[in-house]
Amino acid sequence: MINEISVSGPLIREVQVLENRPLAQGACLMTMDCPEIAALAEPGHFVKIRAWPEAEDGGRPLLDRPFSIHRARDGQLSILYRILGPATYQMSLASAGSLVKVSGPLGRSLAEADLNPAAGFYLAAGGIGLAPMALALDWLGGRGAATLFYGERRGAAQVDRAWLESWAGDLSATAEASPAYGRTGLLTGPLEEALKRQIRPIFACGPTPMLAAVSDLGGRYGTPVWVSAEAGMACGFGVCLTCSLPLKGGGRFRVCREGPVLDGLTVDWGKIG
Amino acid sequence: MSRELDLRVRIASLELKNPILSASGTFGYGLELAGFCPPEALGAVIAKGVSLQPWPGNESPRVAESASGLLNAVGLENMGVEAFIEKALPPLKAAGATAGANILGRRPEEYARLAARLSGTPVDFLEVNVSCPNVACGGLAFGADPAAVGEVTRAVVENCGGKPVVVKLTPQASDVAAVALAAEKAGASAVSLINTIPAMAVDLEGRRPKLANVVGGLSGPAVKPVALRQVWLCARTLSIPVIGLGGICSARDALEFILVGAAAVQVGTATLMDPRAPLKILEGLRNWMLREGLDDLSQLRGTLRV
Repeated sequence: MINEISVSGPLIREVQVLENRPLAQGACLMTMDCPEIAALAEPGHFVKIRAWPEAEDGGRPLLDRPFSIHRARDGQLSILYRILGPATYQMSLASAGSLVKVSGPLGRSLAEADLNPAAGFYLAAGGIGLAPMALALDWLGGRGAATLFYGERRGAAQVDRAWLESWAGDLSATAEASPAYGRTGLLTGPLEEALKRQIRPIFACGPTPMLAAVSDLGGRYGTPVWVSAEAGMACGFGVCLTCSLPLKGGGRFRVCREGPVLDGLTVDWGKIG
Repeated sequence: MSRELDLRVRIASLELKNPILSASGTFGYGLELAGFCPPEALGAVIAKGVSLQPWPGNESPRVAESASGLLNAVGLENMGVEAFIEKALPPLKAAGATAGANILGRRPEEYARLAARLSGTPVDFLEVNVSCPNVACGGLAFGADPAAVGEVTRAVVENCGGKPVVVKLTPQASDVAAVALAAEKAGASAVSLINTIPAMAVDLEGRRPKLANVVGGLSGPAVKPVALRQVWLCARTLSIPVIGLGGICSARDALEFILVGAAAVQVGTATLMDPRAPLKILEGLRNWMLREGLDDLSQLRGTLRV
């Protein structure tokens, strides 16, 4: 862990919100004018955001919140988030022109993974796990074919299909308990069918059971699985160890430093509550 | 800004350049945040607590936010004292920082061995954690009992090769000043308080605790009034310096602790909110002194009118 110490790296900036709009059912997209951090962003990187005032008494909510970078281009940085608690509710109230604090980019990205993009990619996104996928697709660009497998747990569409299709390219969308996207079931169904047709590396982001299942699929088909892991996190800079998760065979990793992007086959998913 | 302020603080043989210290567990091993807060700019860096062997800590989730507070149950995950001496301490000292090692064990013998191991190293002082609530058999058992704190303190003082020993106290003792006095009598150079307050948070709909460890330690602005009282109680009882911590988020917070008698303060949760926090607090403290016409913190320290 101590080898990961760096004295340069992330920036902390106060930036202007350009747009902040709901996509559907509590999922929102916030775009900020944030050229310095956008210029450094790679797929899987995250930022901490504070969209409510800092205060001498710490303010409320207390901690800035971590979010995957959804997109970074033309000096703009966007975040895809779901309204889950007081912090994301506060975020949803930030209007165009308001100032928010952004710290980042943080963590290890997919670009640091040992992989060959030319081999093509399967992207697996569960629910709000869509967040890092647009930047991943931009990064893959023309370097390799990519198919996005998107799955929703709750049966009702959280994101607008037209919006999803506007950036997702080759897309397979499923909803767990309804044909909201034309197909019912888990995304691992179509992902496994695709692996039977053609083996490709996988990049996955979503809830822990999904990451565990996708990692298992990758193991069974002998293809690398890079996951963007998630954990409750306080500092985001590697000092508090609240986001530490277990590795197979002992040892742990900090989601904010050795992650969030890492080899899914190395994670001890069974121990993560 | 022309006047020179004297911010130095003395703890036994050690002179700190200013009274703003990083609290253990919130500043890593000292260099992780150097881009935002150079460790040598602080009075001292107190590194993440270390035990004789590496500890894996608790399972995830380890953190939950409450009203103006932060609950954590990291469980003292750490690299162990050998890795600390070999990998973490040299670059921290090379950066010019004053470095405190925070030590934790399950029995007095473990504290004695940790002190002995650190005695010949460049570490500037030891902070003895007798009070972390997040391990099953450590912390509180020692921390709330004056005799046990005295025993652990003596074990460290006798083995640390003369380095200053700071004993970090729990807010859980029924008579915190009595525990602090026991540390002083056993040879502590200073005490620091408060450690986190045992606490819990639950998910109502999910019918589950928010922390995998079920219970954790509360820090942040929510605990500041508790800390302020206990620091005040200790400062007026002890003759050794008292280092105050608990929810310090601003220069005013830091100055309040000094007003009730703290020699120095530690910044913890605020650093997790913003890694620049300790430096901002130091700058704010300087500005306040200039505005108030103070040259030296002794003009404020312990001057509370009651």
